Amino acid sequence: MKNSFDEKILDEARDWLSSKQNVVLATVIQTWGSSPRQVGSRMIVNDKGDFSGSVSGGCVETAVVRECLGLLKEKKPFKKIEFKVSNESAWEVGLACGGEIAIFLEQIN
Amino acid sequence: MKIELLKKIIEKKEKKMEFAIITNLENGEGCVFEKDKLLDKSFEKYKDKIMSQFAKKKNGIIEGTNIFVECYIRPIKVIVVGAVHIAQYLISFAKSLNFEILIIDPRGYFASEQRFPGVKVINKWPDEAFAEIKTDQNTALIALTHDPKIDDPALRHALKKDFFYIGALGSKKTHANRCARLKESGFTKEQINKIFGPIGIKLGGKSAPEIALSIISQLVSVVYKK
Repeated sequence: MKNSFDEKILDEARDWLSSKQNVVLATVIQTWGSSPRQVGSRMIVNDKGDFSGSVSGGCVETAVVRECLGLLKEKKPFKKIEFKVSNESAWEVGLACGGEIAIFLEQIN
Repeated sequence: MKIELLKKIIEKKEKKMEFAIITNLENGEGCVFEKDKLLDKSFEKYKDKIMSQFAKKKNGIIEGTNIFVECYIRPIKVIVVGAVHIAQYLISFAKSLNFEILIIDPRGYFASEQRFPGVKVINKWPDEAFAEIKTDQNTALIALTHDPKIDDPALRHALKKDFFYIGALGSKKTHANRCARLKESGFTKEQINKIFGPIGIKLGGKSAPEIALSIISQLVSVVYKK
C-alpha cells in the first residue's frame, strides 16, 4: 500500500506566483545517511526571503534561503547544492543528524 | 521549472492522476511523465529507465544519469459514513495527509454543505451511495454513526470489496453486537476480525478532535504496514 502523502507546496508556489512574487523551488534530490526529510521534500522561497515547506528538520533552511536569494539575484535558472556535516560551515548550518543531502534549486517562471 | 509545467502538475494532482515529474538536473528542463503517453523529445532516450523507476514508484535520480524522477500516485480513497462532529475534524486531518475523502450520510441535517465545505458529501443511504462510487482494495471505510441502519450496509460493502482498512466507532459492547449481526449475515470470523472496533489507537482522549486524531493515526499506520 502506498499513498501520496503529498504536501501542498506546489499549490502554494502557484499562489505566490499569481501574486507576482519571484519563486525558487528547492527539492531534495538525494540523501545519504540519516537525513530528516526524504527525497522529493520541497520548500519554496520568494525574493523577500519568506519560505514555506522544508528540506531538513530546520538544519539547513536558512542556508537554502540564502542560496535561493543568490540565484534570483544572479538571475540563474537552477543550481544544485549539497550539505554535509563536514562542510566548512558545519558550525553554522550543518546537518546535526549526521546525514548528507543534495538539493536542486530552480526558479519558476 | 516553467509555470506551465507547475500548472500542469497541479491539475494532474487535483484530478488524482498517476504521473511523475521528470527533471534534467544538467539543464533544468522538466516534463510530466504518464504511463502510455509520449514523453518530451529531450527525455525520450531515458524512457525505459523512467518507466522502470515509475513502476517501482521510487523517487530519486536514475543511476548513471542526471535525471530526477518524482512519482505521484493516486491518493487513497477514504469513505466516512456519518457526517458527525468527529468527521469534521477527520476531514481536516485527512486533507493535510492528502487522502481523497467522501462522506456518506442519509440524514440531511448532518450532510449539509455548510458543515462540510468543499467536501463531497453524498446524502443517500450507503447502498445507494456505493452504487455510484468506485471502491477497491485501496479504499478505506470509517463508520461513525454507530447506528446499525447506516453503518452495517457500509461495513458489509467494505468487507465484500476487501477494503484495506475498515474501522467502526462504538464501545466494545456495540462492536460485539455489530460482529454478531455481521456473522448472521454470512461473514466469516476472519473477515469480521478485519474491522477495527472500537476504532482508533488508544490515545485516551474523548473529545471529537482527539478521537479523529486517534482514527487517522490508525489509518496511516495501516497504510505503512501494507
